[in-house]
Amino acid sequence: MSKRFAPSHARCATVNQGTERTFTYRSSCGSRGCLITVAGITRKRFTTSRAEKGRLTMGTELNRRTFVQAAATIAGAAAVTPLLSACGGGSTQSGGVNTASGLKAALPAYVPNTSIRPDLPSVAGGPGAMTDPGFLTYPASRVATTSGVPGKGGSYTAVTPLWGTVPPAGNSFYQAMSKALGVNLTMKPADGNNYNTIVPTMTAAKRLPDWIQLPTWWNPNFNVGELARTQFADLTPHLAGDKVKKYPNLAAIPSGAWQAGGWNNRIYGIPSFSSGFVIAGTTFYRRDILEARGIAADRVRSAGDLMSLGKELTDAKRGVWAFDDVWTYLFPFWGVPNKWTLDGGKLVHKYEMPEFLEALDWHYRLATAGYVHPDALAGDNANGNTRFYAGKVLIGGGGTGVWNLADYQSGTAANQNYRRGAFDIFAADGKSKPQVFMGPSTSIMSYLNGHLKPDQIEELLAVANYLAAPYGSVEYTLVNFGVEGVHYTMVNGVPTATDEGKKDVQAQTYPFLASPPAVISNPGGDVVTKDYAAWQAANVKTLYKPVFWNMNISMPQSIATADAAQAVEDTVKDCYHGKKTVNDARAAIATWKSSGGNRLTQWMTDNVLNKYGTGQ
Amino acid sequence: MTVPAVVLLVVFNYVPLFGLVTAFQYYDPLVGVWHSDWAGLEQFHQLFGDPLFWEALKNTLYLSFVQLALFFPIPIALALLLNSLLSERLRNFIQSVVYLPHFFSWVLAITVFQQMFGGAGVLNQFLRAHDVGIWNVMTNPHTFALLVTSQVIWKEAGWGIIVFLAALAAINTDLYEAAAADGAGSFRRTWHITLPGLRGVIMLLLVLRLGNALTVGFEQFLIQRDAVGHDTADVLDTFSFYYGITTGNYSYGAAAGLFKGVISLLLIWGANRMAHAFGSDGLYRR
Repeated sequence: MSKRFAPSHARCATVNQGTERTFTYRSSCGSRGCLITVAGITRKRFTTSRAEKGRLTMGTELNRRTFVQAAATIAGAAAVTPLLSACGGGSTQSGGVNTASGLKAALPAYVPNTSIRPDLPSVAGGPGAMTDPGFLTYPASRVATTSGVPGKGGSYTAVTPLWGTVPPAGNSFYQAMSKALGVNLTMKPADGNNYNTIVPTMTAAKRLPDWIQLPTWWNPNFNVGELARTQFADLTPHLAGDKVKKYPNLAAIPSGAWQAGGWNNRIYGIPSFSSGFVIAGTTFYRRDILEARGIAADRVRSAGDLMSLGKELTDAKRGVWAFDDVWTYLFPFWGVPNKWTLDGGKLVHKYEMPEFLEALDWHYRLATAGYVHPDALAGDNANGNTRFYAGKVLIGGGGTGVWNLADYQSGTAANQNYRRGAFDIFAADGKSKPQVFMGPSTSIMSYLNGHLKPDQIEELLAVANYLAAPYGSVEYTLVNFGVEGVHYTMVNGVPTATDEGKKDVQAQTYPFLASPPAVISNPGGDVVTKDYAAWQAANVKTLYKPVFWNMNISMPQSIATADAAQAVEDTVKDCYHGKKTVNDARAAIATWKSSGGNRLTQWMTDNVLNKYGTGQ
Repeated sequence: MTVPAVVLLVVFNYVPLFGLVTAFQYYDPLVGVWHSDWAGLEQFHQLFGDPLFWEALKNTLYLSFVQLALFFPIPIALALLLNSLLSERLRNFIQSVVYLPHFFSWVLAITVFQQMFGGAGVLNQFLRAHDVGIWNVMTNPHTFALLVTSQVIWKEAGWGIIVFLAALAAINTDLYEAAAADGAGSFRRTWHITLPGLRGVIMLLLVLRLGNALTVGFEQFLIQRDAVGHDTADVLDTFSFYYGITTGNYSYGAAAGLFKGVISLLLIWGANRMAHAFGSDGLYRR
């Protein structure tokens, strides 16, 4: 019997502790690919590198095509801070935390798939961390990982968010998929930009479709903990332990990703795009420009080195500044966790760590020294990429998802020598062991409706198994590119969309229901795959599981408000933009502590740490 | 005839008022209004103890005052100016040009300002190139009120003249002719005929403006919040948004919104009383 978490206060909010709300990561996917925005940086990403979507796991925000520098719609901006949301109301009791032992019994066994060999194999790092395998070419010989059709002719409806143009209903791609899957699966992609407002109307009316995808950064908004208890199908009886081996492609999804869809020690979610290398992001630089100037990136071994480099690179008169915003991606280098750490068994919030203020002070000095582009200081992140491509800034932060083919194509369009590099993860003081916290293993999670009968659940799990077939397999190729000759043709060994394919095959419709673990693949841009894979391999050892990693936690609203600490976050931003001093931040933190921060720490200690441990 | 309009008003303006009940609840969209826990005045209790709320209120009133003082007279002056132009063609041309920015979104308007006056904008790169100190107008919290007011003037002044032009057109031209025949110069004619003719409209707009004193805009502040800092740019509307909606603390946001609504009602009532006291019509004729 699973231990049910009953908050002392009936009202609660759900928080995935693995997710940091500052992991701004936006994606909008169109017929030809995805627009991915990392911390407001927008780029076009093509379907050929869709396997990279594993990086979606970092996201807390999946948003519209960003033009607005401040995500100026209510729907969009509401998504920025998902962790704070209230959940279960009334007298209902919300879904709760998993216990280590309880969840272990529910987790599916992990049986990696070995049928397709990557060109650049995975490298293991610390516990739970490993690099994504890299592919330099699209596998020429397609392996089939399923036999026959998975379905038994049932009829189902699925809703997924879509950032792009909705393909025509009943189009040739949907038909081909329904035939291959053996079910009449009606896909109803919904506008991703308004998804967080669309879903609550369905859940409130208890009219969820048979299969729905809910990005985990909206867990609090959707109150997924409560939904799991009341409206979702419990997959544990079908997937726990060795039972998953009936679905080999689902068994090849690592346990961490399943854990992110677990509530109350039961498995509810089917993860997509899981990855063993999920971090907030990192600090990129213009490798071509730095190399041309004879600057070796590996000379940057400390925050001091980076500051000196900033001085060297800034030339405001020529309109060149060294830095764009880097705080979100750089502060972990001071040894600061995403939220919590343990000090002698005591739970300590990052705001209370001297390292946090040291990191803030460094960023304040960076801004006031004039090394940060004025537009970044004015809060215009949307054009960060344009500045980077144009060489107006040479160092900028971003999610690792930006390191892909589309970035390479956009960059080389602006400057043919363009090459993105990332600094190796270092310790700010230059002496400590470099380390950076991991995010949750995935943020893309789909759920089955609780009304489904066991054999219907089995049927859809078989469909999910088909959708999760590994990169380059027969199934993967159909799911992602459609039918050869109709939706794509092979050009130089790369599946290339035909006009019909561009119209009908939306990159994320089916993969948003289930997909294999992420790989690195940029056909036509090998340098990107090699650079990124090499960087992952060089840095995977620095990844560590933070306290409460991958744990789904429900908390009362007042605690969730303290957890969000909007006032502190606002002051922190003003500080790294050079408008407030570290003393202002210290004062904001003191106010936060007395007005809820201390209660938050106590609550987390009593209700999570003492009951369920650290999740590490 | 008026039935559709009344239905529209009821459905979209009065029925949603029911949502105000969330300000007294711990509202949860999943369980809905009927099943959310009752909070009583707890949200208001918290709100009035929140220094950020008072900061936002202060900013709102300050910005409102600055806009009233600096923006309000501009469309009137512009309308008088346009009215004095004899060439209809020139008048239409100028009118079109000053109208145009109204149709730009705030995103675009602020982008234009940023490109021109931002730290890396045209002006500052010019100053840099000539080794003159830069002028940081876009990110200076101390001059923020002037910045946003000038943005409002650039964007909305042209739009604001429409109603004044209509009022000007309604003034009987015979009056001008008679005054001119009596030897009144252009200043006398403006003072004794034009301005009294506009008084009703000016009072009406002033009453409405005062009633809306707590509404100074939303996107404009949302977009520029990061540039000057939250304690300078937060107004009541952005406060509700950041500390209510984005944190999922809907009831808190609703409480702040309700507070704003009640104060606005009092303001509009007071301003209307004042208008009547001055012998104007205000919102309605007494």
